[in-house]
Amino acid sequence: MVADSSRSDAGTAAEPADDRLLEVENLQTVFHTERETIRAVDGISFGIAEGETLGLVGESGSGKSVTARSIMGLVDSPGELLPDSSIRFDGRELTGLSETQYESVRGGGVAMVFQDPLSTLNPVYTVGNQIEEALSLHRGLSGLEATEKAIELLEDVGIPDAARRVSEYPHEFSGGMRQRAVIAMALACDPDLLICDEPTTALDVTIQAQILELLADLQEEHGLSILFITHDMGVIAEVCDRVAVMYAGEVVEQAPVVELFENPRHPYTRGLLRSIPSTQRGADRLETIEGEVPTPNAPATDCRFAPRCPEAFDACREVHPEPVPVATETADADADHTAACLLYPEDETREQAVDRHAIEDAPPGAGAVDSGGESR
Amino acid sequence: MSRWSYFARRVLLMIPIVFFGTTITFVILRMGPIDPAAAVIGASGDTEAYTSVRRSLGLDQPLWLQYVDYLRDLFTLQFGYSWVVNRGRPVWELIGVYAPRTIWLGFWSVMLPLFVGLPLGFYAGLNPNTLSDYVASFGGIVWRAMPNFWLAVIFVAVLTQSEQLFGFQWESWLVETNIVTPPELQRLWVPENFFGAFKAILPAALVLGSASMGNEMRIGRTAVLETKNENYVETARAKGVPGRKIVYKHVFRNALIPLVPIITGEAFLLLGGSVLVETVFSINGLGYLFYAATINADLPLVGSLMFFFILLSVGINIVQDLLYTLIDPRVGYGGEGA
Ligand code: SF4
Repeated sequence: MVADSSRSDAGTAAEPADDRLLEVENLQTVFHTERETIRAVDGISFGIAEGETLGLVGESGSGKSVTARSIMGLVDSPGELLPDSSIRFDGRELTGLSETQYESVRGGGVAMVFQDPLSTLNPVYTVGNQIEEALSLHRGLSGLEATEKAIELLEDVGIPDAARRVSEYPHEFSGGMRQRAVIAMALACDPDLLICDEPTTALDVTIQAQILELLADLQEEHGLSILFITHDMGVIAEVCDRVAVMYAGEVVEQAPVVELFENPRHPYTRGLLRSIPSTQRGADRLETIEGEVPTPNAPATDCRFAPRCPEAFDACREVHPEPVPVATETADADADHTAACLLYPEDETREQAVDRHAIEDAPPGAGAVDSGGESR
Repeated sequence: MSRWSYFARRVLLMIPIVFFGTTITFVILRMGPIDPAAAVIGASGDTEAYTSVRRSLGLDQPLWLQYVDYLRDLFTLQFGYSWVVNRGRPVWELIGVYAPRTIWLGFWSVMLPLFVGLPLGFYAGLNPNTLSDYVASFGGIVWRAMPNFWLAVIFVAVLTQSEQLFGFQWESWLVETNIVTPPELQRLWVPENFFGAFKAILPAALVLGSASMGNEMRIGRTAVLETKNENYVETARAKGVPGRKIVYKHVFRNALIPLVPIITGEAFLLLGGSVLVETVFSINGLGYLFYAATINADLPLVGSLMFFFILLSVGINIVQDLLYTLIDPRVGYGGEGA
């Protein structure tokens, strides 16, 4: 969005935020229960450029899937997006669209691949029928034309004997084949952005690798942007260009993938990286982060990671950290790397840093937005 | 195995079931305490007449021979003549008179719940925790809880006094019908006759179908609520399928699967339950005939009616399998559901 380029906000920092395909700003998704309001997604901002893959990583319960559903407009009562939230896709504001208006965005603009291929296909319709449904909605194809296109799509995603399998039911497909079929269905919509919500978690390792490869190929072929959601840092390393690390409804660190792996700044990211097998040189045993992700039910007044953070100090319990730019290590000069932790920026004294976070957090709800100038 | 060969296998399986059912019937009838010859001659106790009746009825033959004859007659649909209830009248003729009334009653007591209870349940499931949901759910429970005999009596009482209670006469409303007589089932293709027959059976069908209606509503509501939250419904939404089509295409068909056995199960119950309702509304259907035949030890009639009931329940079973096969492609796959 050109109109927003003047606003250099500390939240999404240096990335030239002018023509990114998807721009999420201060997204807040809450769920009302009888006793409390769960702030499942609590003021996150990120963007995805055309052809880019952004990884959204975090433990379960950190708000990744809710983020995906918020973008798809699939958050139903008792959940809602708070008024300050903004999701711009291809220059169009999606928040506040009616259900009917959203139908044109779903699939056609943004398509989604879900976690469990066993349950994402309707058991009573053939795979072909479900792909053709998408084809008729988004490409106006029907009848024989649609069937031919469906077969073509199944071939594209590597399903052998597609002409026969197009008329089979989901239960006649294996898990991996089903996920391929789901991907074919998403592609049938001809989307610009593909959201993959843990697409390989339910599959075994060899199939997982095949599906990741397939996604990479398709991305190149169709020029797709991908939002890839996973809890698996290993998968992130394989498929993403940039990574946003989520914790308890917030993005705590954001950086290009190499930068993040080489130079993780947030203590939580470091913990996550220590818990994967291959990346840690010389580590004999895997570390895990003790404890669980808290369920945020009030606006943050502290660092939500503090109870589990090995580097926590007093201020962590009183000041809510905002994303700030941190020094980069990789050669990439305009590497845009932010972390939401009171330890940063590292070139300031701890008091200065804490004060800065306290000030940025000051206008309640406004968060990181509109704090320009100060940080650079 | 394809689902249609599964279906064919299910149908073939019905043959031994019919055979077994009729055999049990024979055993109960011939080996039980009933002495048909005594029933035929009545209380006179004339031994001469008694033996001659026994001979003429073939009761002096060895049991196995009687059994073979009995099976042969049934499977060639030679039901013989009534011995006691309506002596000398072909069983076929009796069934021809009584069965249509029961079938007409049974048909509407299945259809009314299906077209009233099910849509209400689906509606409540689509709009959970709204006022209309509460009204429908609560009404369903109350309606279901009312015992048939009580409901039947209340219906008769209210309808016969509709003049005083509501200011119009049910009997002469729109078409002339009676409340407690068998419905006229002649020339149903004439709209007037059809409507008259429908109106005549309506109170009885409502009573007989009351439990089914409540059940189907309740289970339809739950089924829709569950299906609505299935992942494939979210997937369909995510690919931009309009809300209305999601409900029709993706929710309803799946929600029907758990309802199939409920609906056919209700149909079974109606077979047994109809005797009571038929009595209150004086419909004189098969239930009444069967009751009379049993009380009077009219063996050919009882046996034939049993056979008729067995065929009817097997038929319902086949309909159930057919519905399953039509709705759910997973039927017969990997040995499940067999
Ligand atoms: S703000 Fe404090 S508690 Fe939070 S991550 Fe940084 S050091 Fe740890």
